[in-house]
Amino acid sequence: MPAEAAATPAEGRSVRGLWQRTLVFLAVVGPGLITASVDNDAGGITTYSLAGSQFGPRLLWTLVPITVALIVVQEMSARMGVVTGKGLADLIRENFGVKVTFWISLALIVANLANTIAEFSGVAASLGIFSVPAWISVPATAVAVWFLVLKGNHRQVEKVFLVASLLYVAYPISAALARPDWKTFALATVTPHFEASTAYVAMLVGLVGTTIAPWMQFYLQSAVVEKGIKVEHYRYSRLDVIVGCIVTDLVAFSIVMACAATLFKAGVKVETADQAAMALAPLAGRYASWLFAFGLFNASFFAAAILPLATAYYVCEAFGWESGIDKKWGEAKQFYWLYAGIIAVGAAVVLVPNLPLLKIMLLSQVVNGVLLPFILVFMLLLINKEKLMGSWRNGPWFNAIAWTTTVVMIGLTAYLVATGARDLLAG
Amino acid sequence: MPENENPHFLFFSSLLGKKVVGADGAELGRLADLVIATGEPYPPVETLVFKARKQTWELPWSAVAEMNGTVRLKPDARPAPPPAAPVSDRIRLSEEILDRQIVDVGGAKLVRVNDLHFLVVKGALRVAHVDVGFRGLVRRLGWQRVVDGAVSLLRPGADYLVKETFLSWKLVQPIESAPGRVRIEVAQRVLATLHPADLAEIMEELDRHQREVLFRRLDVETAAEALEETSPEVVTELLETVPPEKAADILEEMAPDEAADALADLPHEQQQELLHAMEKPEAREVEELLEYPARSAGGLMTPDLVELRPEATVADALAEIRRRAEELPMVYEVFVSDPGGALKGLCTLKDLVAADPAVLLGKLMRETPATVLADAGLKEVARAATKYNLLSVPVVDAAGALMGMVTVDDILAEVVDAR
Repeated sequence: MPAEAAATPAEGRSVRGLWQRTLVFLAVVGPGLITASVDNDAGGITTYSLAGSQFGPRLLWTLVPITVALIVVQEMSARMGVVTGKGLADLIRENFGVKVTFWISLALIVANLANTIAEFSGVAASLGIFSVPAWISVPATAVAVWFLVLKGNHRQVEKVFLVASLLYVAYPISAALARPDWKTFALATVTPHFEASTAYVAMLVGLVGTTIAPWMQFYLQSAVVEKGIKVEHYRYSRLDVIVGCIVTDLVAFSIVMACAATLFKAGVKVETADQAAMALAPLAGRYASWLFAFGLFNASFFAAAILPLATAYYVCEAFGWESGIDKKWGEAKQFYWLYAGIIAVGAAVVLVPNLPLLKIMLLSQVVNGVLLPFILVFMLLLINKEKLMGSWRNGPWFNAIAWTTTVVMIGLTAYLVATGARDLLAG
Repeated sequence: MPENENPHFLFFSSLLGKKVVGADGAELGRLADLVIATGEPYPPVETLVFKARKQTWELPWSAVAEMNGTVRLKPDARPAPPPAAPVSDRIRLSEEILDRQIVDVGGAKLVRVNDLHFLVVKGALRVAHVDVGFRGLVRRLGWQRVVDGAVSLLRPGADYLVKETFLSWKLVQPIESAPGRVRIEVAQRVLATLHPADLAEIMEELDRHQREVLFRRLDVETAAEALEETSPEVVTELLETVPPEKAADILEEMAPDEAADALADLPHEQQQELLHAMEKPEAREVEELLEYPARSAGGLMTPDLVELRPEATVADALAEIRRRAEELPMVYEVFVSDPGGALKGLCTLKDLVAADPAVLLGKLMRETPATVLADAGLKEVARAATKYNLLSVPVVDAAGALMGMVTVDDILAEVVDAR
């Protein structure tokens, strides 16, 4: 692990010290928790539902290494944000130049546009379960997202998001309602298990790909910078990241479990998260089904609010265009066009009848998969630069873990990209 | 460099990565950076940096014989390794300026540098402009020919082709360079003339390190004015980065209510330290304001006002305003109180200007339409100001003695923040 910030000797001994540290933690908490929660977006919930309903508990164990990898990657983002005070897009532009920045930004826009489409289709699907037609739910969400961001300031928006991340508790509850066989699941979590079938490998890779996405590194780092967290308080920020990652994967765990205990057991085949939610009703009760659908809506809305804005920020930051919701349209044209464009296209595409949504999701996975190795390698190069990070560079052990994680991730996403591209071209 | 060339312009992007060859034509490496010394408005390049494999070498610019497709050196050129530690007043253009954020002091905003524009004159390469425009980006991507062609085909008169988005080098302020070493004198002077609100906005947009660098370059007065317009979290952060004596000087310059807001968010020990470092009278004013919650009349009020007795004349009042004009941020009315300090009434500036200089304030004054107590909430203060169209709302204690006033700009700022 990186060098610890030296704690003052008096700190931590008295009750007052503990209280103070709690206060600092509460002030610093947010970015890690929010980023990790948005990670369980429409695409994530779909993947976890499918993993649970097709393979039962047989993929649960992968969530443990995935959590570790997520923590390793996210911790580096947070550390870079705190130490350099700059966003990842900034650092890439300043250290790797215009060409690299251009291609990364382009890929990020495409990937996040595809992700946003997925979020809006998640909104349509989840509210469809409550009988709200898509032509109402999707435009309403687009408008709500627009106003939430335009009318709220950073702190209010962060509070809304923190509440939204608490609402993920819907999933553990609906998992409990499914009355799983706890012992089997506990055992499956700690016993690595492998199957050589194509379907199993594809699902495993999908799980990894949906959990560790390129945009998260940009978002987390910027959120940490925006919060102005000081180096002295970095350890609280790290705790925020670790707690966020663990909570997120507990949610993922409960989704897999809910589907495994019901759909897999009953042999119900589903293809999407909303089908999973509906199929839950006869097996685990109406409430479990509603909670599942509500969770999907919450996640999709949450991510639809963050992705377009975040994308517009990074791109403008990298190219030096004025950005920010406190600017007028004429002052920050590029920013608003990107932001409005991603929301509008994202919402409009979902409303087009007979659109191959599964293909769009596949495309989003492929672009994310192509982008991720570059982002991870850039992050590792940046975090090891002495000029930037000083004594906060990775230590040899942490580097070994981080590079191993990166190499494994690159291998897995290469597989994902290859099969995804094949499926896209095939049909 | 040949000295008989006609003066012409050259882009940095067209030089970076060029082959550097010796007098005999053997390739030594590729151009990696150019170094200028600050001091002149359009500083000349003094040193050339090139890379050969992993190694970096430096040469004085005078060792360059010609620049034509390749950079050819003179026979006696002796490349040396670069200095280990950064040298003061030197700017490495690629390392510290290109792709970085700088302050455009002319336009009062932050911009990112896409390219640099040199003037080649008498063998010297002088930095003339920084390019912050879209065309600079396209050039860096290596697509200028294609994009220019496409645009001139579609819209020959497009802004893209006609307008160059260059900023004069004189008017930019680099903020990435090692702290406190490099500054561009002209830009530094213009920086101090920016509107404090613009300066505050620039500081808020910068990242933490850059913000500190910029803040340290401001003189006490400019710093105080800018801080009055900056959000409290940023103010607290900035005050912690300068030595306590300078922080105290800045706080003294600030309006007492703003200074109290800035201090309110600091840890108790630091707050006391700064209050001790401040001059006694200013410190006492601020300490009194600190007693009240930030969003109450007491927390918002300033004790800086003009208070006179009923026996004073209009001429006295105007003279008093003139005398204290330096320290008073704004004056819209003069308050009239009895010797016990109880508020009797007020005269607006208009009343004073229109009246005969010999008239007594006691005669001229009008009744105070509304006063608030120090513990009144923001809503109440705002309501009083709106209802009676007041530019400043007087704050009194339980006995009716004048303690200070809340000015409408502070009310507005709070209301806008609270939306």
